[in-house]
Amino acid sequence: MSRMEVYSPEGLRMDGRRWNELRQFSCQTNTHPNASDGSSYVRQGNTVVLCLVKGPMDTNRATSTTRASADGPVLNINVSYPPFAGIERKKRSKNERRLSELSIVLERCFLKTIVLKNYARTVIEVNLTILSFDGGLLAACCNSITLALIDAGISLYDYVSAVSVGIYSETALLDLNSLEESDLSFVTVGVVGDSDKLNLIMCEDRLPLDKLERLINLGIQGCHQLRKLMNDTVKEVGVELLSKRQ
Amino acid sequence: MSTSLKRKQISSGLSVTQKVFVRSRRGKASKIVREHYLRDDIPCGSQACEACDEYYFPDPSGFVRHPVLSKTPLKIEKKSIGKHYVIPDTNVVLNAIDMLENDKVFYDVIIPQTVLEEVRNKSYPIYMRLRGLCKSEDKRFVVFHNEFKASTYLERKIGETMNDYNDRLIRKCAIFYGEHLQDAGISIVLVTGDRANREKAQKNSILTLSLPEYISLLPNSIELQDMLPTSGEFSSNYKEIKYPSYFSAARLIGGIKAGSLHQGTINISSYNFLEGTVAVPNLPKPLLILGRENLNRAFNGDKVVVEILSKNNWKKPSTKIIDEEAVNQNGIGDDDDEVMVTDKERIVLAQEAVKAQKAFLQDGDDDQKSIVPTGRVVGIIKRSWRLYVGQLSPNSIDQNNNSGYSAKNCFVILMDRTLPKIRIRTRRSRALAGKRIVVAVDSWSESSKFPQGHYVRTLGDIEDKDAEEEAILLEHDIEYRPFSKNVLDCLPKEGHNWKVPENLNNGDQLLAKREDLRDRLICSIDPPGCVDIDDALHAKKLPNGNYEVGVHIADVTHFVKPGTAIDQEAASRGTTVYLVDKRIDMLPSLLGTDLCSLMANVDRYAFSVIWEMNDKAEIQNVKFTKSIIRSRHAFSYEEAQMRMDDQEKQDPLTQDLRILLRLSKILKKKRLDAGALNLASPEVRVHMDSETSDPSEVEVKQLLEANSLVEEFMLAANISVARKIYETFPQVAMLRRHATPPATNFEALNDMLRVRKGMSLSVESSKALADSLDRCVDPKDPYFNTLVRILATRCMTAAEYFTAGSFSYPEFHHYGLAVDIYTHFTSPIRRYCDDIVHRQLSAAINYETLSKLHMDKDKMDLIVKNINRRHRNAQFAGRASINYYVGQVMKSAEAVEHGYVIKVFSNGIVVLIPKYGLESLIKLDVLGQVDTAIFDAEKYKLTFKNGDDQETVITLFDNVEVYVKTELDKFTGKRKVLLSLK
Repeated sequence: MSRMEVYSPEGLRMDGRRWNELRQFSCQTNTHPNASDGSSYVRQGNTVVLCLVKGPMDTNRATSTTRASADGPVLNINVSYPPFAGIERKKRSKNERRLSELSIVLERCFLKTIVLKNYARTVIEVNLTILSFDGGLLAACCNSITLALIDAGISLYDYVSAVSVGIYSETALLDLNSLEESDLSFVTVGVVGDSDKLNLIMCEDRLPLDKLERLINLGIQGCHQLRKLMNDTVKEVGVELLSKRQ
Repeated sequence: MSTSLKRKQISSGLSVTQKVFVRSRRGKASKIVREHYLRDDIPCGSQACEACDEYYFPDPSGFVRHPVLSKTPLKIEKKSIGKHYVIPDTNVVLNAIDMLENDKVFYDVIIPQTVLEEVRNKSYPIYMRLRGLCKSEDKRFVVFHNEFKASTYLERKIGETMNDYNDRLIRKCAIFYGEHLQDAGISIVLVTGDRANREKAQKNSILTLSLPEYISLLPNSIELQDMLPTSGEFSSNYKEIKYPSYFSAARLIGGIKAGSLHQGTINISSYNFLEGTVAVPNLPKPLLILGRENLNRAFNGDKVVVEILSKNNWKKPSTKIIDEEAVNQNGIGDDDDEVMVTDKERIVLAQEAVKAQKAFLQDGDDDQKSIVPTGRVVGIIKRSWRLYVGQLSPNSIDQNNNSGYSAKNCFVILMDRTLPKIRIRTRRSRALAGKRIVVAVDSWSESSKFPQGHYVRTLGDIEDKDAEEEAILLEHDIEYRPFSKNVLDCLPKEGHNWKVPENLNNGDQLLAKREDLRDRLICSIDPPGCVDIDDALHAKKLPNGNYEVGVHIADVTHFVKPGTAIDQEAASRGTTVYLVDKRIDMLPSLLGTDLCSLMANVDRYAFSVIWEMNDKAEIQNVKFTKSIIRSRHAFSYEEAQMRMDDQEKQDPLTQDLRILLRLSKILKKKRLDAGALNLASPEVRVHMDSETSDPSEVEVKQLLEANSLVEEFMLAANISVARKIYETFPQVAMLRRHATPPATNFEALNDMLRVRKGMSLSVESSKALADSLDRCVDPKDPYFNTLVRILATRCMTAAEYFTAGSFSYPEFHHYGLAVDIYTHFTSPIRRYCDDIVHRQLSAAINYETLSKLHMDKDKMDLIVKNINRRHRNAQFAGRASINYYVGQVMKSAEAVEHGYVIKVFSNGIVVLIPKYGLESLIKLDVLGQVDTAIFDAEKYKLTFKNGDDQETVITLFDNVEVYVKTELDKFTGKRKVLLSLK
C-alpha cells in the first residue's frame, strides 16, 4: 500500500483528482416520504448513505425507552452498516465501538445545530444506513443528517456540511477515499453554514500540530462548496413540493 | 476483469468512471470498485505546445510546474524521423534504465503513467530512478498521466490481459501525442522490445522501433551499442555447463514453510570463491555451500533458498585458498551423484545437521569433528545485483585479436573477488582494455557458466587516481554526483553572507527561544585542517564549586527541514564518506563547511547540552537548549595538547581546557571500569606530498590526550541525549546499539590462543572481555596485545542504528561502550542519524514539533535500514581507499618489515603488517616446495622445505620478517601486495 503514489509530483491523486477537488457529490431529499418524517440520500464518491428521521415525537412513541429532557429533544442516532457495504462481506454488530462512537460524535454535533428550545420533551430518531463505503464516512453521515432534518422540517440554525481532509507530507488533500484514508492521517471537519465556525472536528490519527491549520482551512473551503450543492438540492425539492400543493 | 461503465460528466473537463476489479483476499474473491476521474486539463509537457499552457495549476504552496520537453528535440535524418520525442515501453525502462540515465542519449522522453506504474510494480528501485530522472529535468523527462486524461483513457475490454491493456494504453498515448504535436513538427517514437506491440502499433501508424534499432539510428550509435542490455542471444553458442534449475516459487515457499528448505543470505568466502556460507535461522552455525554447482549461480549477498545435502556429501570446510584464475577452466565437474531426496528426508537431515553442528561445538578430537553439513542453492529470492566495476580480462582480448568492429564476447573481471567474471558483448574490446569499466548484470541462465551483462561506461585508466576513486565509490554504492539544483535551492538565499540576526527580538518565535551563550569561552578541538567543525566545548567553574560543562553541536536542522529535497538527499546519502584525499559530503559544502561549521570568532547557531558536574565528574543536572555561540578558538589536537601542557599559559581559555581534560580523564576511567572495551584496528594515515599530491608516507594514527578529551564529552552528550529522546519518544527514538557478540564468534580465536599461547578470552560480559584482553600479554612482544585486540575486534558484531520500538530496553545495550543506551548526536554535518536525533531532541524540549516523517515507525525503520547500510559502506570505502594509497606508496618502495601470521591454511599463510595496516596472503609455492608441506590444522602449524631445502616451520602468531613489494595484478588491475618470507 505504501508503495502507491498517493500524490504524484505532477499534482494528481490516485483517482485522478487534484489536491483541492471533491469527489462527485449528489444528494436527494424526501426519498422515503411514507416511511419517515424526513429522509435523504447522499453520495460522496462511492460512499452512499441513506438517512431517515422520525420526529419530533412523544417519548413513549420512541423505539427505545428514553427519558425526556426539559431542555431540548433527545436525539437518537443509529448507524447501521449492512454486510454488503464494504469491500469484504462482513457482519458488524450493532454495538460495534466505531459505530457507536460515530453516533455519539454526530449527536453532539447536531445538539448544537438544532434549535433546542423548540423541541423540549421530544425525541428525534435518526436512522442512518451505509449503502456503500469508500471513505469519508463521518462526513457523509453528517451531510445526510442535515438534509434529512431539513426535510423533516426541524428547525436548524444553519446547514452543517462536513468533509474529510488528509495530509500527505506537506500537502493537504480534500475528501479522501478509503484508499487514501488507510495511508494518511486525516481530520473530518463540519462547518456551520457559510461561516468559519466548526461544529464538528474529529481526528483519529496522529497529526502534526503545525499542519492542522492548513487542513482546517482546506476543509472549510470544501464544506462551503458542499453546502452550496446541498442548498441547491433543497431549493429544487422545495420548489417542486410547493408546485404540487398548488 | 472489468466491465464497461459509463462515464459520467461532472463538470466541463471532468468526468468520472469506475474501475472494477476482482481481487482475492485471504482466499475469498472480493470485488473492488474505485472511482477514476478523467480530466482534460493534463498538460502534454512540451514547450512547443501552447494549447496546454492553461493546464499548469499551482500546487498548494503556489509552485507552478512548467513544460519541460524541448522545442527543438534531437533530429534523426535517417528514416525521415526528424525531430522527435521518445516514449519508452515498460520493458525498455526495466532493461535499459542505465541507458536512460546516460547523459549521451535519451533526451526529451515521455513516460506514460501506465509505464510508470508497471515499472513500480515490477521493480521499486528502478521506479525510484525513473522518478529521479523526471524530477531533475536535466534530461527532460516528463510523466504524462494518460490514464487520467479523458482523451487517452481506454476501458479494459472483457477478457483482455493486463499486459495487452497496458500496451493498448501506451499506444493510445503515442497516437495522442502524434496528433497533438503535429503542428509543431515533432514526431513520436515508441521504443518497445515487444514484437507484438510493435506490429499493432505499426497498424495504428505509430512510429515504433526496438531499442537496438533506435540506437542504431543515432549519430553516436557505435559508442552506445555496447550498453544495450543482452537478451539471451549468445548463450546458445556456449553449452559449457548446465546448472541445476531453480525450484518453482511454489515449491520454495512450501519447502520453507515445511522446514525442508532454508532461506538466508549467502556470503562467499573472500579466500575461496567456490565456497560460501548461508546463515540459516534454525541451524546454530552457517551452512556451508561448496562448489560451483552447489552455489548454483548465487552472487555474494543474494537472498537464497538452500537445501541440505545428504549426509555422504557433508564435507570439511576447505583449508585452501582458491582464486578464480587459479582454477582450471575445465575442472568444474565436481562429481556430484544426483540422489533423489524426499521432503521428509530433508527435514530429518535438517535435524541431523543441527545435531552434527552441536556435536562439533561440544567435543573435540573425534575424526568426524571437522565434517560439517553442506547445502545447495535451489532458488534465489532476491538478487543483490547492482553496477559492478571491473576490467576486461586480458585473455579475452587476445583471443579476439582481429581488427574490425564486429561485436565480440569478452569477460570482465570484477574488483570484488568473491564475484564471478561477467561476460559482455562489445565492439570496442581493444579500446576498453586497460580501463576501469562499469558493467551491469542482465541474467545468468542455466546453460551459461558465467553471468551475462552489458557495458555501462568507462571510468578511466587502471591505477589512475580519479578512476580508482570513482571505482571505490561505485563499488560501495556511494552517491558522489554533485548535488542537484533541487537540493541547492533549499540553501539559504544569502549564501555565504548568511549571519545570525543581530537583533534577537525580531519577532521570530524560534529565535526568541534560543539561549544566547556568546559569553561562554567556547572552543573546538578537531584534527588539523578540519573544515566541517560540528562540535565545540566549554567549561566554567560555578560559584558552588561545581563545573558547568557544555557541548555545542552545529545546528544543522535549522537549515535542513524535514521533507525538503535537501533532507531527502541527506537521508539517502546517510553519511559523509572520507577517502584519503577526498570527502563526499552528505550536505552541500555551504552548510557543512560554512554556515553550520562552528568556526572561530563567528556567531553560529548550535544545539547545546549543558551539564552541571561536580568535582568527581558526576552529572548533577543536564539541560538541552538551542543556542547561539561564538567559538573563541578552533584548536587542532596537537595545538590543544601543547597549550594544556605548557604551564606558562594561564589564560582563562587554557585553564578551562585543563578543567575539561581533568574531567574527561575521570569520565574515561569510569567508563573503562564499567567494562568499556579498548579495541584496536590497524588504522593508518597516508601523508600526501604537498607538491605533487602523491601519497608519500604511511603512518599509524597517533592518539593524544586531547583526542580522548573530546571523545569523552561527545560520548557523555550522546548518552544524555539518548536518555532524553527515549523518554519522550519510546517508540521512534533513534538510538544505536551494539549487540553482545555470540560466544561462537570467539571460538576460533580462543582456540588459536589456547593452542598457541595458552591464553583465553572470557566473553561473558564486556567487562570480562576487557579484563581478559588486558591479560593477553606476551612479555617478549609488546605488539602481541594489540594484535589480539585487532583479532578480537573482528569477532564483534557491528553496532547498528535502530528505532527504540524495535527492541526491548535491555537489548539497547551498547557492548563496546558498556552503556545501557546510546545514540549519535554530535556530528550532524556528516551523519544523518544525528539530524534525526536533533529533531527529536528539539521536539522533546518543545522547541518545535516533530515532523510526521520521524514519528511513523515504518518510515523510521526504512531510514534506519538505509543509514546502517550507508554507514557500513562508507567504512569499507574508506578502508579500500587507504589500501589503494598504501599500495601506491609502496609502488616505489620495497622493504623488509615485521609481520604476524594471523591465519594458516594448508597451502598458504596470511600475514599482517602493522606498519602499513595491511594483511596479505603468502601462497605455499612462494614460500617453498609445495610437495614437502605438512599441515597440522589442530596446532596451526605448517611445515615445509624452503627453496634451499631447509625445513621451515610456521605457526600462528609467529613474528616473521617479510619482503614487501607490490605488483599490478594482470587480471584485476589491482595493485597487489606481494610478500615473501625473508
